[in-house]
This record gives sequence, structure tokens and C-alpha cells, in this order.
Amino acid sequence: MLSRIADSLFWLARYMERAEGLLRVTATHNLLSLDKDVNGPLTWRPVLETFTSAGEEEINTIEGNTGAALKKLLTDTANNNSLKCIIGKARENARGIQDYITKEVWEEVNSFYHLINQPALDNRLSNYEAADILDIFTRHSVLYTGITDITMARGIGWGFMNLGKYIERCLETIVLTDKQYARNQYKVDEIKDIMQWRHLLMSLSGYELHLKTYRSYQYTHDVLHQVLFNEDFPHSVIYSLGRIDRHLQDVTKGHISEENASLIRNFGRLYSKVKHLEIDDLNNQTLKPFLEDLRHDLLHFTNLLTQKFFSYA
Amino acid sequence: MSLPTLLEQYDYATGIWDEMCDRQQIREQYSKVIATLKQFNISDLQQKDRLAGELFMNQGITFTVYSEDAGIERIFPFDIIPRIITGQEWEHIEAGIKQRLKALNLFLKDIYNEQQILKDNIVPASLIASCPHYTREVFGIKVPHDVYVHISGIDLIRGEDGLFYVLEDNLRTPSGVSYMLENREVTKRIFPELLAASHVRRVSNYPLLLHEILLQMGPGQLSNPLVVLLTPGIYNSAYYEHTFLARQMGIPLVEGRDLVVNNHKVYMKTTNGLEQVHVIYRRIDDEFLDPLMFRPDSALGIPGLMSAYRMGNVAIVNAVGNGVADDKAVYAYVPAMIRYYLNEEPILPNVPTYEMSDRDARQYVFDNYTQMVIKRTNQSGGYGMVMGNKVGPEEWAKAKAAIEAEPRSFIAQPIIKLSTVPCFIDGTFQARHVDLRPYALCGPQGVQIVPGGLTRVALRKDSLIVNSSQGGGSKDTWVID
Repeated sequence: MLSRIADSLFWLARYMERAEGLLRVTATHNLLSLDKDVNGPLTWRPVLETFTSAGEEEINTIEGNTGAALKKLLTDTANNNSLKCIIGKARENARGIQDYITKEVWEEVNSFYHLINQPALDNRLSNYEAADILDIFTRHSVLYTGITDITMARGIGWGFMNLGKYIERCLETIVLTDKQYARNQYKVDEIKDIMQWRHLLMSLSGYELHLKTYRSYQYTHDVLHQVLFNEDFPHSVIYSLGRIDRHLQDVTKGHISEENASLIRNFGRLYSKVKHLEIDDLNNQTLKPFLEDLRHDLLHFTNLLTQKFFSYA
Repeated sequence: MSLPTLLEQYDYATGIWDEMCDRQQIREQYSKVIATLKQFNISDLQQKDRLAGELFMNQGITFTVYSEDAGIERIFPFDIIPRIITGQEWEHIEAGIKQRLKALNLFLKDIYNEQQILKDNIVPASLIASCPHYTREVFGIKVPHDVYVHISGIDLIRGEDGLFYVLEDNLRTPSGVSYMLENREVTKRIFPELLAASHVRRVSNYPLLLHEILLQMGPGQLSNPLVVLLTPGIYNSAYYEHTFLARQMGIPLVEGRDLVVNNHKVYMKTTNGLEQVHVIYRRIDDEFLDPLMFRPDSALGIPGLMSAYRMGNVAIVNAVGNGVADDKAVYAYVPAMIRYYLNEEPILPNVPTYEMSDRDARQYVFDNYTQMVIKRTNQSGGYGMVMGNKVGPEEWAKAKAAIEAEPRSFIAQPIIKLSTVPCFIDGTFQARHVDLRPYALCGPQGVQIVPGGLTRVALRKDSLIVNSSQGGGSKDTWVID
């Protein structure tokens, strides 16, 4: 497979996964912000801090204004990480590999792009239609995932798409978890109201699973277990790493080289750090550095992967 | 207003060949279509028109218009009423194009090798020497099976007399074939019963025929040569077509940066190292192909490609240097080539062409410029054209000065009123001018043409310029038996 195509497949999948994450967080926040929080009204600050590069001053002005925050997150082209920009980049990648991806995948990415580029969108976001629009977007994002799964051929290209997808997902889970625990000063043992955790769980679409699986009322501990170690939770770190492991094998299969072996070893080290960890090892002191290291290791692995497979220009 | 009334009001100019009507009578080939159309009402047709637009948009068959910071995507206009050619007319066109391509191929082989045609004074040597597209760099290079023009789009027009004329030969990288194919797919959606009942000859096998020819260009000892399609990239206006063809043929779509030349062989950079490429169907102009040989600033090409080509390690489709044969001044000599190489009379006539480098012809054109169209010999896409009946005195003075400064760069032709067909515009049927570009494929076994081609239509009222860059659109083209 052409390196350029592998590169674009990887980034198409990453951007689409990022869009999905952004949409879930935004939609969750939009609904929850209508309720009064225990600590006063919910502001858009954490979402803006996570997903945009807006400065302190700008955040201060728009954190209480849902319309403005949604605009910043979804349609502002000055924000490189707005949904509009992400989908634009996803489409640009898809466009360069139109001959490789299926017509169906291309058409879905393309129609998503045209949808978000409708001129009337900004006005509709600032009134009561916002929730509906977020729904429509989320549906497109899910549709993309389904269409990709149903129509794309398996093989090496599929491997690169999934590497992109699960690296992005894993990073997202780490960052959102970090954000949530930071608000709580990383106090793992403190028992808190489930309502505090609903935001994180719903953003990762894991709230229902949580209610079904965990009944100990040690929410801080349980949520951490779910997002890091629950193998059945498709947004957990361990699940994503498991998928990366599998797809890394797919793309290196049949090509024995020192470079490949080194890449696999690098990932193996990172994977075992999570796989062989006891949750009780994570406490008020160790949680923060653990999340930081994990994120750092994953980014380092991604760099190696990029150098190995995508050097062409 | 009902559709039958609208059809009765269809107004076409006298003195121009209308493809549908002849002295208030509907021609036989259109009768079935018209009978079917009469069963619809206007809102049905408007609905179909909208549906066609959406189909093009969602598939990304668009080009981008840049304004301020936002790029707006537009579709190439498509008119829903098909253009119909009878089987009999088609046989004539097909024979004419085959003959013409055979001669042009022989000409290219000759001009880059022995140059007999110059020695026999059939084509003046000065004409070739002054042609900017004559490529000395490829002189003496042997191409597989002596095929130079693998893919061509020869533009035909139909004059007042109902005869088809060749307007120009496109032998370099003609585009538009994806529109021919997509137009048919859209028609299948909007007029399914009509299409099925009309016995329209099929065009959909074009990519398979092309793939077959590309495979045959590979080295003989290889059973499965690696064929790639080389594109300038996503910002090229024909990019959709490149992806379309690559997908339909199942070959990799590559950019210049995906390829590298090592030891006179071309390789593609893959995730598992380098893989040798044997055939390149390029959609990049000659001058950008190899920065070592042609334009040094080209970022689209592959350094060293021409050396691999010269060694015969890679086949390039179409061959490099074809521009000499579709130069608008050389065009005037194609009938002479047909007589010279094939000893046959041309089946499809040329449009009379005056070379501005000829003093008498130039004077004649200056005296009669209001009936002439002046074209630059090295430009296409409808650029650099002066319509003598539309220019004011000042503009003409400017054009005249330009011609006198470099006469070799211009030719003149009498303005031919292209034939008209009905188009569905603003809820009415209006006559618009069209041309026809059939796509011919030439391989070791000869020339194959899928029946039909692309009908380009000048959507502006009374305009004779059909190029998409100048407000043109297209129509599905039916050859019916």
C-alpha cells in the first residue's frame, strides 16, 4: 500500500473519531447545562479548555453563553479543532484517497462536510435547535462508523484506519479522565455523588454500562476502573490498547524487519503498563503522573509509527 | 402550462441544424423521448432536475469556486434531456474517428523518428519547428506497440448542413470521460423507463477497455504489470475524474511524490518499501512530468522519469510529445496526413482553417473578420478565442496587433453555427448549441470507441462556447438503434 494512502487513512479515521468525541462531549454538556449543578450553573469552561485553544480571556467571555460556546466548538473556522475544521480535514484526507476508500464512505464524509458548511447553521445553533443539530451530526458520525465497517475491505488499509481510530479514542479517554479527576484534585478515595461522574460517563457513552456493572457507590474508584480497565467498555483505555495491538500486528504481518520489531516492542511496553497494573496502585499521588505518562508514551509510539510507515514526501 | 404546449413553443432558429426538430416535425429518433416527456408535468421535470443536482453534489462531482476565505463547491451543470444520435450517424462518426486516429498515430511515430512527411513536403518543416509542443527530448524513443495516442477526445460539431466536422483533436490528456459515464448513471435514476425503452447503446465498459489497453502497454514478459494513474492532486479541477477512473479500473491513484526513480526504474513508495511501476497513465501535462527534463520548478513530476521512459522501463500513457499533433495549426494538415499515410479520403471533414502565418490567408481573414473566430494555436478550454461577430472595433484592433506580432500563434476559422438541442431551462424548453466529444481508445489491436461521448452544451443563450470554464454544461448522449 502507498505510504501516502496509509497516512491519509490513518488521519481520516483519527479526525472522524475526534469529531465523534467532540460531538458526544458537546451534546452531553449541552443537555446537562440545562440542569443546575451542585456547584452552581455548569459552564462551558472545561469543554472549551479541552477542545479549543481559546485563551483565558475568551473563555471568560463565552463560558456562560451556550450559543457562543457551541459556535466556537462547532463552526468557528478560526478554531483549528472546531467540528467544521475537523470534518474539513477528514474530507481532505478522504478526497486524496478516493480511489482506495469505498464510494459509500466517501459519500458519507462528503455529505457530512456539506451539512456542516451550510451557511444558516450558526443561526440555528444559537437558538433552541442546537440539540437537534447535535443529534443530526452525531447520527452522521455514527453512520460513518457503520458504513466504514460494512463496506471497507479488511487488510492493511483497514489496519491503518483502526490504528488511527483507537489511538485517537485512547487519547481522548485519557484527556477527559484527567480533566474530570483534576477538578477533584485526583482524590481517588473520596466518595462523590454519581451526578459528578455522569458527565464523563455520558461523554464516553458509558453511563448505562456503569449503572449495570458497578453498584458499590465508590464512584471515584469505580469510574476509574471503568474508563481504564474495563475490557467490555469500548471507550476504555485497555480496550483501545487491545485494538491497537491487534491492528499493529495486521500491518506488520509478514514483514520481518528490525524496525517493525522495535515498534512492536515499544507498544508492548506501553500496553503492559496498563495491562499489569492493579487499580489499587492508583492513589491520590500516582494517578496524575500515571495519566501523564500514558499519554506521553502513546504519543511517542504514534510518532514512531508515523516515521515507520508514512515517510514519503 | 402543460408540457405539450411547452414543447410546441420550443423555438429553434432557422439556418441552424436542430437535433430534435426539422421544419416543425420531431425527428424520428426523438419521438419516443418526446412522447414520454409529455406524460410528465413541469414540476415532475423540475423535481428530476433537482434530484440530478443532488446526485452530483453528494458524490462530490464538483469544482470549487474560491471567494474570500471560503471555497464554494459547485456542480458542473447537467441538462436532463438527453442528446440523441442514431446508430447510422454513429457508424459514420466511428469510422471517421478511427481513420483519423490511425493517421495521427502514424504521424507521431514518423515525426519523432524518420520524419518522412517533412521530407516529402506534405507538412512544412517550419510549422513543426515552430510548434511549442514539438518535444525534441523524446526524439527517437520507441514506445510500446507504436501507440502514441492511447486516449483521445476528438471534438466534433454539426454544421448547418447536418454534417459532422472535426473541430479539434485532443491527444494529450483529454478529460470529461467521467462525466460521460456519470451522466448516464444519473439518467438511469431520473428516467429509468425511458432509458430502458429506448435501446441505448451501453457506455459503462469504458474503464474496462482502458484498463485492458494499459495492461497491454506493460513489458511483454510480465503477466501482471503494475499500472498506476498519476494525478496532480486534489486541487486539480479534474481530480474527481482521476479518482473515478482509478476506482473503476482498480489501480492505485498516485501523486508525483509517491513515485521515485532509481537506476532508470520507477518505483512507488509503499508501507513496505519500494515497488516497481510499469505503466503510468498520467493526467499531468508533459512540461510537469520530469523537472530534470522540462520545467525545473515542477513539484508535480518525478525527477528522472524521462530517463526511465527512454530506457523503456516504464510506459507513459499518452505518449510524451503528442501536443505536436493537436496543435491548432497542425490540425489543418490532418486531412493531408490521412491521404499521405493511408491513401484514403478523410471521412470526417475539417473545419476550414486559415493559418495566420500565411500572408494571403491573413489578409483574407482581416477583410472578413466578422465571420471568423480567431484561436490561439496552443490554448484550449475556450481561452484566447476572439469571436469576430462579437468584438468591438477597439478589441479587434488589439487582437489584430497581437496576430501581426506573432502570426504563427493564431489560426482563424469561419464561425460555424453549432447544432442546437432542447434544454430544460427555467421550466421551459430552449434551444442551446452543442458539440460532441467521443472518447476513443487505441491499443495494439486498434481503435475502440464507446458509443456516444460527452455532449457539451453552451447554456448561455446564443453562446457558441461550450467549455465548462465558460458557462458550459453537459448532457447524456444516447446512440440508439
